[in-house]
This record gives sequence, C-alpha cells and structure tokens, in this order.
Amino acid sequence: MARLRFERTILLLALTALGVTWILFSREPVSQPRTISLTEAPIVGHLAPNFTLATPLGETVSLTDYVDRDGDSGQPVILNYWASWCGPCRIETPELQSASLKFKNQVAILGVNQGESAQTVTDFGLSFGLTYPLLVDQDNSVNRTYGVNSLPTTVFIDRKGVVREVFIGILNQAVLEDRLNRLLEEG
Amino acid sequence: MYPVINLGPFVLPTAGLLYILGAWFGLSLIERTAKQLKLNPEKMYGVAATALFGGLVGARLVFVAIYWRAFQDNLLGIVWPLNTGYNLWGGLVIGAAAAFFYGRFHQLNPAATLDTLAPGLILGLIVISLADFLAGPGFGTLTRVPWAITQYSMRRHPVQIYEILAGLLALFIWWRQHDQRLFEGQLFLLTISIYGGGRLLVDAFRDNAWLSSGGYHILQIISLAVMVGGLYLAARLGEKALQQQRQNETG
Repeated sequence: MARLRFERTILLLALTALGVTWILFSREPVSQPRTISLTEAPIVGHLAPNFTLATPLGETVSLTDYVDRDGDSGQPVILNYWASWCGPCRIETPELQSASLKFKNQVAILGVNQGESAQTVTDFGLSFGLTYPLLVDQDNSVNRTYGVNSLPTTVFIDRKGVVREVFIGILNQAVLEDRLNRLLEEG
Repeated sequence: MYPVINLGPFVLPTAGLLYILGAWFGLSLIERTAKQLKLNPEKMYGVAATALFGGLVGARLVFVAIYWRAFQDNLLGIVWPLNTGYNLWGGLVIGAAAAFFYGRFHQLNPAATLDTLAPGLILGLIVISLADFLAGPGFGTLTRVPWAITQYSMRRHPVQIYEILAGLLALFIWWRQHDQRLFEGQLFLLTISIYGGGRLLVDAFRDNAWLSSGGYHILQIISLAVMVGGLYLAARLGEKALQQQRQNETG
C-alpha cells in the first residue's frame, strides 16, 4: 500500500509539473499588443472596421478620430445603429442621450442612421434633444460593413478599436451603464 | 459566424436558443444517469432544475441589485426584457446554494448526487462551447494545421471544437466507469478531472483567453487546480474504499 501511495504521489506531482510547464509555455507576452493577429471585422474580438461618415451639417467623423489602435490615448466608442421609423430605437434613444451626458469625455456615442436623409436625421435629433453626433449613411455602406440587419443594433468598441460586444435589441439604462463601466475599467 | 437566426421578421439569438436546448437535454440526461446509478430520477431532476432556475433568478437579481438606480422607477424592467443583464458570479453562488438547500431538504447524498449531475454539467459546458463556436466571441490562435478553420479570412485553431472534444472524452469516461465505481463521488471527481485536464491543454490555443496581468491563462490555472485536486481526492477516497472492501472480505 505504501508503495502504491508513493507511486501515486509521484504521478500527481509529475502531472502538476507538466501542467505548470504547459501554463508557462502558453503564457501570452504582455508587452505585445493582443490585437496583432486581428483583422478588421464587425465581430467581437476583432478590430472594428474604420469608416468616415458625415453629420447632417457636413462635418466628417471617423472611428479612428476616437479609438487609438496603436496607443493608449483613445476612448471607447458606442456605435448605435438606428432609424427614425424604428420603434425600439426610439425607446432606447433617451437612455443613450443620458449616458452620453453622464460619460461625457470618457466614451463617444455615435448614432449611425440607416438609409435616411440628412433632414430626417436632423429632425430625429431635434425631437429628442440629442447632443451626441448622428451620422448619415444614406447608401447604407457602413450599415453593410457592420452587417446590420436588425434595428437597433449597438456595437461596443474599446479604446484600442476592438469590438467587445454586438448588442441586438433595446438597451436599457442598466445594461448600458454595465457595458460602459466595463469598457472604462478595462483601461 | 451565426450570431442570429432570421425567421421572417423575427431575429432569434443562436446562443440563447442553444442554451435553452442545452438545458433541456442536460435535464433529460440527468434523469437517465439517475436511473443508471439507481437513484431517484425525479429528485435528481429536481436538484438540477433548482440549480438552473435558482442560478438564472440569482444572476438577474444580483444584476438588478447592482444597478438598482436604473430599475427603481421601472419595476417591470426587472422581469422584462430578460435577454440582457445577468451577473455570472451571482448566478453561480445562488444556483449552488439553491441546489444545496434542495438536497438538504430531500436528504440527498451529496456525493451520489454529484455523480449523477456530472454528465449534465459537462453537457452544459459542451453547449456553451458550441454556442461560442456558432455565435460567440471565441476564436483560436493562428495556425497552419490541416484541420484549421477559416474565421474572418484567417486560419485558426477550432478551439471550441477542442473544448467539445474534451467534454465528450469526460462523458465517455463517466459512461465507462459508471457501473464499476468504488465509492460515491468517484464519477464526479474523474469526470471533472478529465475535463479540467482537457481545458488545461486546449485553452493554450484560444486567442481571446481570459488573462492575468502577467499574461497567464486564468482558465488554465483553474483547470490545473480542478484536475490535480480531483485526482488527489479520487485517489485518497479510492484507497479508503479499497481498504474497506478488503476489511469486509477478511472480516
């Protein structure tokens, strides 16, 4: 019995040593950016595709105005895809406005319209008193790039430009704050 | 790859559908395993369903408690919509506590109950990996192995498939051992050890792994602890069971 116990102990120690070696071998180099193998895709864990769109007033906005893929000076971005005819979008819009004020200068909220005119976008913004940028995507090129086929869709992007979540459906205040706090905590 | 399934005007989340199917299959499997181990299937089903339901309610309640400000003027929002806003740790703790009290109330043997629940637990983990493969954020490291899959124009390890294989191996071991166990709890310990070992091995191939500040895969550390702890306990309890068996034979 003593011999069996000894062999068993040796076996367990060997297994532990093998496991620890494997963990050490699998360690990720922390000095290397984790996004190095990532391609642009509207998928969680990938670099959010860059785009440039105009506000109804003609001011151009790019994703890379906010995120910093190579450094630490960027800020998280929320891309909210919406349309004026979309009832659920109207329900969540006040929550986004409230979050844009609460997280001012910490997180950028960009409302990307789906296929409507600049005038419609302007009217929508005025009717809700929105202060965050609304972007016109009349030919739906950015909507297509991000594969948006249901509204509302919200894409959470971290300060490095990596997609962290694609949320389909109505956002409420709790979910929005939860996701924003997580993005900010991740640094 | 397939985050949603479009059915006419309805958009259904693939992961959510898989979780519902997984819960159903998992509970059915537990009923079957209870019969194989000659335990009361209804009580085993009850303890698993209590853990599942308690976990869901607990995860939601903890989330609501954390963000109470958002719910205090909208109490209906606590129960609708339910597709968002859960706290994982709250769910795990409350689900386990609910199962514990159910077991106490029905005077269930904890070790035998864990033996019965093990296949359902592993099946649940397999479903999570499958959902992650079809609709989730997980993806493997870059590779040139022949069985690599193309994800977003790059060849990657199908890491979720590896996880599923680890789960299937653990289920196979449970099935092979279920009629020759030496002591109650052995099947549970063996199953989680095998699965832990598998995850320790395959998590190295996950590109978006949960990392510690030093760059270590946290899941690998947990898996190693589960594997070594499970095997150690299995060996100790197995030795006691063998001694008892010999005493009974000689006495």
